[in-house]
Amino acid sequence: MNIKLGYVAAVLGASVMTSAAALAADPITVVGWGGNWDKAYKEGVWSVYTAKTGIPIALEEWGGELAKVRAQVQANNITYDVVSVESPNLEVGCAEGLFVKLSPEITGDPSKYFPGTLHECGVASDTWATILTYNGDYLKGEAPKSWADYWNVEKIPGKRGMLAQAQYTLENAMLADGVAAADVYTELRKPGGVDRAFAMLDKIKPHVVWWTSSSQALQNLASGEVVMTDQYNARITNDIVNEKKNYHIVWEAGFFYGTDMWAVVKGSAGEQAGLDLLKWFSIPENQAGFSKLYAYGTGRIEAAELVPAEWRKHLPTAPDHVKYGATYDDAFWVENKEALEARFKAWLAK
Amino acid sequence: MVLLAVPMVIFITLIFIWPVARFLMLSVDNSDLSNGLARTTMALDGWQAGDGVPGEPAFQALVADLAQAQRDGRDGVLAQLINQRLVGSRYLVIKTANDAALGKIAGPSVKDALLAKYPGWSNPALWAVIAANAAPYTDYYLLASLDLERDGNGAIVRIGEDRAIFLQALARTVWISFVVTLICAVIAIPLAQAIASAPPVLSKVLFAMVLFPLWTSLLIRTVIWIIVLQRNGPVNAALTTFGIVSEPLDLVYTRFSLYIAMVQVLLPMMVLSVASVMRRVPDIYMRAARSLGAPWITAWRRVQLPLIMPGILSGAAIVFVFALGYYITPALVGGPTDQMISSNIAFFTNQSLNWGMAAALSVQLLLILLVGGLLLFTARALLGRRSDA
Repeated sequence: MNIKLGYVAAVLGASVMTSAAALAADPITVVGWGGNWDKAYKEGVWSVYTAKTGIPIALEEWGGELAKVRAQVQANNITYDVVSVESPNLEVGCAEGLFVKLSPEITGDPSKYFPGTLHECGVASDTWATILTYNGDYLKGEAPKSWADYWNVEKIPGKRGMLAQAQYTLENAMLADGVAAADVYTELRKPGGVDRAFAMLDKIKPHVVWWTSSSQALQNLASGEVVMTDQYNARITNDIVNEKKNYHIVWEAGFFYGTDMWAVVKGSAGEQAGLDLLKWFSIPENQAGFSKLYAYGTGRIEAAELVPAEWRKHLPTAPDHVKYGATYDDAFWVENKEALEARFKAWLAK
Repeated sequence: MVLLAVPMVIFITLIFIWPVARFLMLSVDNSDLSNGLARTTMALDGWQAGDGVPGEPAFQALVADLAQAQRDGRDGVLAQLINQRLVGSRYLVIKTANDAALGKIAGPSVKDALLAKYPGWSNPALWAVIAANAAPYTDYYLLASLDLERDGNGAIVRIGEDRAIFLQALARTVWISFVVTLICAVIAIPLAQAIASAPPVLSKVLFAMVLFPLWTSLLIRTVIWIIVLQRNGPVNAALTTFGIVSEPLDLVYTRFSLYIAMVQVLLPMMVLSVASVMRRVPDIYMRAARSLGAPWITAWRRVQLPLIMPGILSGAAIVFVFALGYYITPALVGGPTDQMISSNIAFFTNQSLNWGMAAALSVQLLLILLVGGLLLFTARALLGRRSDA
């Protein structure tokens, strides 16, 4: 009994001590995209900040659902301080007043940023692409070269992984229908353009295993449940380089790239701490820490130049890749996302 | 003696009945819209969608309402609610509210100024949404949860086929829960019989095997099925090795894998329920029936089965109720056509923040429970009468 009490006292003492240490600085709750993305940010960026300032960073993971921020703000119970959010959602959230507007004092000179990586409410956390990839271990027949091949189940048998949402998926359907990446949004905006994309999806539907999180998609690709899938490029590069997986990225099939933005949630307890963090992050040396570890692009132009050339060739913006790509059209998704996602959800359940 | 139950009644009321009732009220609550757009709805009194774009007074009232909402920080909520009824209008409302609060929409004609900047307001359907929300209560969510809506004249009509998802989800939820209950009963009854009639040691071992999965996390039990059933998993490997199939089967992300995962998780509830009743039934009844010449199966069906029926019924009730609320398992091992009502509730609660819709769907689930409860009650009453006779 005495031993037990002594043990309890020791545990209590230890926990009092750790909580005293934690009181020194409130952690900033930073919400990222999970998995190796968070790991790269933790190792390359946040740990440097904590070492320098003593302010701990608490990591959370999400799927970019703006409604979660909305719910916290409306209930006045805000637990997120800084979030990484896709740029169309940043635009909407900024107009709604969910995010703090950033002054040039925080972000630095706007002319030092790549186009589309700076917004009045956010700075780029990463520039990423959705690419076509296949698992060489399970491929039967020839390798896919285009999205039309991806749709062609006679030529290349096996299931396909596909993101279970309209955004990013309708674009791939248009590529498969023979539209060049640069013309996809022009075609989607035409009357019947969206119907054309859905008609393409009808054709592939029986052969699709849907995914909602990257880890699901990667699990299915690794186990051979699907022979190929759409995926965010760095997740695949990471598996090829670090895990020696027999995956191949088909850049020449055409791809789109977009930007996630760091934004500070207005009214959060860590609002000021979050702004300080972004000010520090806006220095090129500091933000380059992420891209050195993970094959996504940076916001600041000088930061990109700090990434070793050997690694830079994996990025969507590498000269060998970018010629096949086009940028996601934020304006299209700001206007149409909710209506198209509702239609997609109903289509999927049929 | 009744007083002893008072703390429990207070407890249940405070932590269960009151919050649930509050939540369900959200399915008819419309105060945010009717208060936030009070001036506009008043200006639209008598206007109908067929009249086309309303006149100047409605535009002035709208700009005043939205400016006020923006200053009170309620514009996001208004945009959210209007967007739920006419998907795609959120950004328009927000931008208009921001400009209205800054006084940027002004001129000799507010109507011309607003339409010049935001042509989206020339859509009569958008005005019809506002006009329809003058009252503090709405049947919008309850109708929508049955794939119904009101047309421009207020008549209730089916919504378009390309948007209808709830009725099929409702039917699917009841059907999946029913099938899972049936499979559980078919497996659990012989198993419980085996446990009850086995020698003590073997009986304990069997019982432990039934209980063991209960101590494992639901998530782990579900994810394991993905690994077991996938194309290159052990089941497909065995099937192809023995030449039963030439190509691996698609077992996971189907209704089949959903049934397997759900039955595995819920089976112990049924077994425990049936076995506990079976243990209290002395085996002399079966022996008496057999000695009177009944074949085993007849004796079991006519003597044993009615005696254990209360256990089967309560087991079925537990399994059915649990199954109705499933959403993690369908999300992980089911396909897109295997998702149940709860996944929609979770979607509207967590992702699209449409709590009115989530509440309306919860009303559906509660009603199914109520109907199920009534059926069970009737079955038990009938059973009781028969055993009295």
